[in-house]
Amino acid sequence: MDWDALRLSLLLGVLTVAILLPIALFAGHWLATTQRRGRVLIEAMLTLPLVLPPTVIGFYLLVGMGPQSPIGQAWHLLFGDSLVFSFRGILIASVLINLPFAIQPAQRAFEAVGQDLREAAAMCGHSPWQRFWRIELPLARPGVITGAVFAFAHTLGEFGVVLMVGGSIPGETRTLALSIYDRVQAFDNAGAGRMAAILLSISMLAVTLSFLLDGHRRRRHG
Amino acid sequence: MIRLLIRWWALLLVALSLTTPAWAETPPNIAAAADLRFALTEVAAAFQRDTGRTVSLTFGSSGNFFRQIQQGAPFQLFLSADEQYALDLARAGKTQGAGTLYAVGRLALVAPKGSPLRVDERLSGLRAAIARGQITRFAIANPEHAPYGDRAMEALKHARLWDSLSGKLVLGDSVTQAFQFAVSGGAQGGIVAYSLVRDPAFAARTDFALLPASWHRPLLQRMVLIKGASETASRFYAYIQGPTARHILTRYGFALPNARR
Amino acid sequence: MATGAADMADGLSIALRQPGPIALDVDIAVAPGKTLALVGSSGAGKTTVLRAIAGLYRPCQGRVVCNGTTWLDSDRAIDLPAQARRAGFVFQHYALFPHLTALGNVMEAMLHRPRAERPDAAGAMLARVHLEAYADRRPDALSGGQQQRVAIARALARDPDVLLLDEPFSAVDHPTRRALHLLLAEIRASSPVPIILVSHDLEDAARSADEICLLQHGRSVEIGPARALLDDPDSRIARWLSSAGDVAMPQ
Repeated sequence: MDWDALRLSLLLGVLTVAILLPIALFAGHWLATTQRRGRVLIEAMLTLPLVLPPTVIGFYLLVGMGPQSPIGQAWHLLFGDSLVFSFRGILIASVLINLPFAIQPAQRAFEAVGQDLREAAAMCGHSPWQRFWRIELPLARPGVITGAVFAFAHTLGEFGVVLMVGGSIPGETRTLALSIYDRVQAFDNAGAGRMAAILLSISMLAVTLSFLLDGHRRRRHG
Repeated sequence: MIRLLIRWWALLLVALSLTTPAWAETPPNIAAAADLRFALTEVAAAFQRDTGRTVSLTFGSSGNFFRQIQQGAPFQLFLSADEQYALDLARAGKTQGAGTLYAVGRLALVAPKGSPLRVDERLSGLRAAIARGQITRFAIANPEHAPYGDRAMEALKHARLWDSLSGKLVLGDSVTQAFQFAVSGGAQGGIVAYSLVRDPAFAARTDFALLPASWHRPLLQRMVLIKGASETASRFYAYIQGPTARHILTRYGFALPNARR
Repeated sequence: MATGAADMADGLSIALRQPGPIALDVDIAVAPGKTLALVGSSGAGKTTVLRAIAGLYRPCQGRVVCNGTTWLDSDRAIDLPAQARRAGFVFQHYALFPHLTALGNVMEAMLHRPRAERPDAAGAMLARVHLEAYADRRPDALSGGQQQRVAIARALARDPDVLLLDEPFSAVDHPTRRALHLLLAEIRASSPVPIILVSHDLEDAARSADEICLLQHGRSVEIGPARALLDDPDSRIARWLSSAGDVAMPQ
């Protein structure tokens, strides 16, 4: 049982969600309420991580963040180490990959609030911030949480990007998914099986939780 | 609203800074060529018994590690299966000197018991099996970045079997993956590292034959300490050249360079 | 832009012009304490006019002045957002906040008041619409008529300068409709706030309004005292009625 790998996976999942939560809230809200034409373009771009093979994303990240890139060099100047093959590098990759998983459920949830309620809030004298905080967010919360849960579960399962951008460095970037792969290559099927079972349980828990939340929302608000 | 965001992300930054590994406290990361998977694991265990220090071994293809270390991956010691990768790293200024040869590797033809492939050191069994159409999949490591794959290709070309195997080759990402393909039944056999097939766990399941060293350029395995390596990594580097480690390496079929250079 | 109605020191005056996509050519004034009903065929633009007054719709050109405050003046680039206009709006489908109780809904319109005052003030507002016993119920536990009254209480809770009701009679059954007329009469008697309501039913309009304004294709073609216009067979309203055919003439 690779405890380091479990710790890394959980840490990656938690941090990814923590970073994405405010982004999902504001982007989801903006996409649900804006009338601007640019919205369609942004929605399309956000859907890309869903349809692109992870290796494509991994490749562009390697090129964009590697030591030859401007970003990589700036990072090295500031912090002395490299973005690729480090935990921070795979965290960046994870956040980018999970944007649609976090934003789209939030967007649906904010859309479901409906224009009527938003106008009613305005007629109560609410500023846009008051409306967001007092009316839209409480109603959209279950959807936002669903997005967070999905992003967490998806992060745990991420393989291709993490391998390409992070390598499989124990204690740094070898997450549980990568550790399973390593165990198989070492002819340690028992070890691989134990870790696979853990990942499976966590994923099932996440999916069940999100369905429960969805049912709760439907019962509450009709 | 902005203040809330800033506070949230400030909290995150704090949490993030806690994830920075301190090299001095955690076991150093060692990049080792895949053919060393069984041998070096034993050496590391002996190292732990003898010194109380631990290292963290990562196995993969030498070419892959070369690329990663070049781009800043946090390995402290690199054991390559092909000395060219180690020397290139030294030339790029990433290492403490040019390192040292620690072993010379050999190729082995391997087949799972029950395979139609009869193993012998001149590959005549392989030739016959190909002629009879009994070979549909044959495993080697990827020649592009795995030295054992590259030498396997050389050996097959030398035996004039490379062309007849085209379309039937299964390329492993590392030589252990190739070994896995060869042994698990996915292929009828393969050419892999001798050190892997020497592991006693596989004696019952496989047959193997040692290929002549003259059929390919030698597998001169060189290791280098990366700049800034810790005390433990340096000690491990020395330990590999010591008698205990050399004895283990010999058991796994490696030939040894002259002692203590 | 010429003003159709003179700006009153109190009350509401509206002038809207728009060629399309929704045609508008409207001049309306409502004095304090008066109730105006906007009537006309569906698609005539009644709800659009109401939304334009509230600030939920922006016409090409317009002027809306309420109690001396200019809410909209396209010539001078003045356009107060909806939340800055003190207008109470009762939506056709009530738009109650589903996660709040009746009391909570009314309190949402009282954010300008100190927090400690809100529960009592909201309770008083609910009492005004005879719903004090239902203060702790969520909207999904209220009947349609009760939800409407909560919506009215919430609109009044803002202490508005004008009360706007969008088709308040269309979705309710007869007993509720009677109760609504009574409630409106109470509000008209107790408050000087001008009221504009939209209705496609003349009977309802006549019963609760002082004046009726007929909208045809976005144009305010006739405006005047309800009874007088309905009793005059030559009025446009009368002619619109007969041409529409099956709408019953109020007695």
